[in-house]
Amino acid sequence: MSKIGVFICHCGENISATVDVVRVAEAAGKLEGVEFSTDYKYMCSDPGQTLIKQMIKEKGLTGVIVAACSPRMHEPTFRKACSSAGLNPYMCEMSNLREHCSWVHDKSEATTQKAIDLVRTLVGKVKYNKPLYSIKVPVTKTALVIGGGIAGIQSSLDIANAGHQVVLVEKDPSIGGHMSQLSETFPTLDCSQCILTPRMVEVAQHPNIKLLTYAELEKLEGFIGNFKATIRKKAKSIDEDLCTGCGTCITKCPTKKIPSEFNTGLGKRTAIYVPFPQAVPNKPVIDKENCLYYKNGKCKICEKVCPTGAIRFDQEDELVELEVGAVVVATGFDVMEPSKFSEYGYGKYKDVITGLQFERLASASGPTLGEIRRPSDGKIPEKIVFVACAGSRDPSKGKPYCSKICCMYTAKHAMLYQHKVHHGESTIFYMDIRSAGKNYEEFVRRAIVEDDVKYIRGRVSKVYEENGKLIVKGVDTLLNAKPVEIQADMVVLATAAVANSGAEELAQKMHISYDAYNFFSEAHPKLKPVETNTAGIFLAGACQAPKDIPETVSQASGAAAKVAILFSQDELSREPVVAVVNRSAPPLYSTCVGCFMCATACPYQAIGEELITNRKGEVIKRVAKVNPGLCQGCGTCVAFCRSKSIDIDGYSNEQMYSEVMALLND
Amino acid sequence: MNEFEPKIVAFVCNWCTYAGADLTGTSRIKYAQNVKIIRFPCTGRIDFMLLLKSFGEGADGIIVSGCHPNDCHYTSGNFHARRRWIMFRGLLDMLGIDVRRIQYSWVSAAEGAKWADVVNTTVTAIRELGPYTDYAKVAGYLEKEANV
Amino acid sequence: MKELIQKAASLLETNVVQVVIGYGKGSADRTRAIFSTTAADCEQLIFDSRCIQNLAVYLTKAEIKKMGKPAIVAPLPVLRSILQLAAENQITDDSLVVLGVSPESELIEFESLAAIETYLATKQIAIEEKYQTTIKAIKAMPVSERFAYWVKELEPCFKCYACRAACPLCYCTRCTVENNQPQWISVASHSLGNLEWHIMRAMHLAGRCTDCEACYNACPMGIPIYLLTKSMLQDVSENFGTYGPSLHRDNTLSSFNPDDKESFIR
Ligand SMILES: Cc1cc2nc3c(=O)[nH]c(=O)nc-3n(C[C@H](O)[C@H](O)[C@H](O)COP(=O)(O)OP(=O)(O)OC[C@H]3O[C@@H](n4cnc5c(N)ncnc54)[C@H](O)[C@@H]3O)c2cc1C
Ligand code: SF4
Ligand code: SF4
Ligand code: SF4
Ligand code: SF4
Repeated sequence: MSKIGVFICHCGENISATVDVVRVAEAAGKLEGVEFSTDYKYMCSDPGQTLIKQMIKEKGLTGVIVAACSPRMHEPTFRKACSSAGLNPYMCEMSNLREHCSWVHDKSEATTQKAIDLVRTLVGKVKYNKPLYSIKVPVTKTALVIGGGIAGIQSSLDIANAGHQVVLVEKDPSIGGHMSQLSETFPTLDCSQCILTPRMVEVAQHPNIKLLTYAELEKLEGFIGNFKATIRKKAKSIDEDLCTGCGTCITKCPTKKIPSEFNTGLGKRTAIYVPFPQAVPNKPVIDKENCLYYKNGKCKICEKVCPTGAIRFDQEDELVELEVGAVVVATGFDVMEPSKFSEYGYGKYKDVITGLQFERLASASGPTLGEIRRPSDGKIPEKIVFVACAGSRDPSKGKPYCSKICCMYTAKHAMLYQHKVHHGESTIFYMDIRSAGKNYEEFVRRAIVEDDVKYIRGRVSKVYEENGKLIVKGVDTLLNAKPVEIQADMVVLATAAVANSGAEELAQKMHISYDAYNFFSEAHPKLKPVETNTAGIFLAGACQAPKDIPETVSQASGAAAKVAILFSQDELSREPVVAVVNRSAPPLYSTCVGCFMCATACPYQAIGEELITNRKGEVIKRVAKVNPGLCQGCGTCVAFCRSKSIDIDGYSNEQMYSEVMALLND
Repeated sequence: MNEFEPKIVAFVCNWCTYAGADLTGTSRIKYAQNVKIIRFPCTGRIDFMLLLKSFGEGADGIIVSGCHPNDCHYTSGNFHARRRWIMFRGLLDMLGIDVRRIQYSWVSAAEGAKWADVVNTTVTAIRELGPYTDYAKVAGYLEKEANV
Repeated sequence: MKELIQKAASLLETNVVQVVIGYGKGSADRTRAIFSTTAADCEQLIFDSRCIQNLAVYLTKAEIKKMGKPAIVAPLPVLRSILQLAAENQITDDSLVVLGVSPESELIEFESLAAIETYLATKQIAIEEKYQTTIKAIKAMPVSERFAYWVKELEPCFKCYACRAACPLCYCTRCTVENNQPQWISVASHSLGNLEWHIMRAMHLAGRCTDCEACYNACPMGIPIYLLTKSMLQDVSENFGTYGPSLHRDNTLSSFNPDDKESFIR
């Protein structure tokens, strides 16, 4: 039998001015299960809390109701008070007499009656409250970072510097991501490689970071603090311990005409290669698709010339299992497949290129050693047209969103071109100039004012070749849609930033959600921008949405901070408001019939299965099981289960049922 | 004779509508006393059986309210709830249980004024519909039996 | 039918299955479910238009499960139930052999549950015209009248639960009507309890019911509860476009579409 104590708060006069608190206390005292009731001026004050503690001890209360302000305000306060008096904190509930009653009604009999109803309703619930204990889960203090662009690099370094272990997994032969391909970076025009390379080296040398390149996530199981990741290390066909990175093999490899991915097809590479000179690790891999030996069974020149005998043609993919406590996803983005732009002649005319290709042309380490030369004939272009929003903000291309970085890098491109080709002319077609960011607007102004870049507001309708020139046709919407035609030597398309092609599959492997464009979804658009809806998995960089380097780095550090917070404790303590599948005596074991529809409905993939076996070890029943480490306590599964086999602590079927009954039966 | 005062139960989620109703309070916007709130973690938790029970226990009207689509604290509890409500409402309608007596709404934590409006318009509407005698009669049968 | 009998017998003889769930002659002009465990038993198997009982209901019964791996004679409605049970993780490819029977009474063998889904894709559940008309007529009644109509229709229900026992999807080990903590539904057969019981059962079948009409055929009082599930089937297809069992599509009510449309939420 419950012994509930009801404490009615005056809240100064906030409640007592409209509600007859004395009568409410009196009425509460008469309810079945209520042992003691009183009213007091300020329940949250020290004497108020002392009163509760004293009554818990004196009357042996089994439940406490504080009828005062909103539980969203003071529930923790009163639960703590109860706990210090030896009553389980989850036996205490608050009835909201201020926000939901005295502040929204005038003083009247009906208002006092409503207050009585509210208290009675909660008495109905508390009768069925059960002591709950916070859930403890151990934490493995190793983080898995997936993707070695600037986001993954930054997160790895931050986590490692906080003293925790990191495994960084990168699918390409080198870390660096898109930033390693960039020439100079807005808004300061410092050289991208120069600021990036030291960090790449730091990653490779950090005692707390284990770097796995040419590797990808195969499987992720488990939950926050306790993930098990399986990583596929693709065969590099070299023994990394023996290889010194001397590069002899690369010089001798006879297959030299493979378009270099790093140089966006503007340069060539060999079949055994490192993607770029500053690569980390600086050891080659064999591209099996193009290697003569793998293709025809003949060659092995690299094996012959390697001074340390490091080539391994028989190497196979290796699966590595890791125990990790948290995951940072930093797999970045891609630029839109430019073949979608038939109207701009991409693919048809060699001198129509993407912004990323322009980065390679402008980069000192690029195929032209930083001179802007056109791909077709190597001549220096006299006139360049830049097309912003090539694909972005264009529902017809399936990307209604703004790619955010293009306005800025297009201004940068035009500027770099003007700095290198002083007599050159650059024109930018744009829809709007979006240059919000510290020193960004100033940067664009500089392009216009100091470098004489011409901006035309309007869309380009067509690009075609005539007499060795690229004719760019567009309109100037600021001049009443006056048609414009420019004879250019080169056209640069600021192609939309899009999600990686494997993003969807990767998200499914990790059970995180993604948006309509396959960018990974944050748990809350404002307040949880680095969390995902799976606890323990965080997001960094352009895999979440297109972003520039400063924003990427901040988010990466944010994700690292979240990981460090998680790793600051040996055990994770969680609110015990979680779902549980019932258990009963054999032969039933549980009323759950294992339909697993609750598992489909759960937003957090918190429901798995449990096999119930008999003494002989035979499986006799397959039932649902909630992982309390993952359950967030929404209760969707509870309302869903037909046979009421799953219930949630804190809002159980009995509690809610009794609450409804109490409300309607005065 | 006194005016009919309908009994209305509100089933609301903790994160949006409950907080929204708190804001109605802090903004001191007045509304009718007839509605009493029961707090759930999420609209996904609101069991249709509880709505049914409320009518059985003499409720004249019901409000069900939670976070707007895409704003669910648990990302998708409200989407599940919406599907369930669509089906439940269809079934009740087929059975001749007056669907006008259940008001569904999305009220965010910032919509204190909307909450007051939802309450007031529901109270007015239910007052116009009058006591839910159809259902009460069926339920009354139960009481008679219990008294035998 | 010879083909069916032969197939069933050989499955038992080769010990691929240990029991064949099929139709046999019942009392008077009726048919009943029979459980053959030997090749000789199989001679009793029959199949004709009177075989309307949904045998899938036995697949989840503990007594039958104890007999070993079953083969089951499965006309269209049974096939649908089998697929729904598979979607609800109650059966798997290796847990049974399905002896399909086409509307032309020909034996169809299915090598997998997925094959059943492919077969059923061409046989969408369609609500017969006459029921559509009835449902429309009921929905056209003024609300009080409609309520009175149903209270009256449900009045004879004495909670024998024959509908539940006949329904292949009511395989819960403890039905919620039997749950007394809390007592969700009053057990006595009075109007409120009857109403609540049928609302609950209909909701539990929302998005799952395959329209086999087993509940109706089973009810000793002839209560038209199938009108509720049929009306919900219409609602499912109208609102969500998806209906009918599927192995790869999540159940209608345990899934959602962020763009689900309704007109009643403020
Ligand atoms: C043409 C162009 C010019 C730009 N200029 C500037 C500029 O001047 N200033 C500026 O601030 N920003 C600029 N940016 C934006 C900048 O490139 C991005 O902000 C930055 O690269 C984002 O870093 P990231 O680490 O999130 O992604 P990425 O750089 O894309 O790195 C992702 C990494 O993850 C790896 N990866 C992908 N999938 C997997 C997987 N499944 N498993 C393992 N690894 C995986 C990739 O190989 C890559 O190494 C420019 C972008 C473009 C396209
Ligand atoms: S708990 Fe309920 S919904 Fe979940 S698997 Fe068991 S019976 Fe099905
Ligand atoms: S309460 Fe919510 S989060 Fe927890 S298991 Fe149920 S559906 Fe999943
Ligand atoms: S509807 Fe018919 S079969 Fe079902 S419980 Fe009622 S009387 Fe029995
Ligand atoms: S009525 Fe519902 S709870 Fe009862 S057996 Fe059928 S599905 Fe299960």
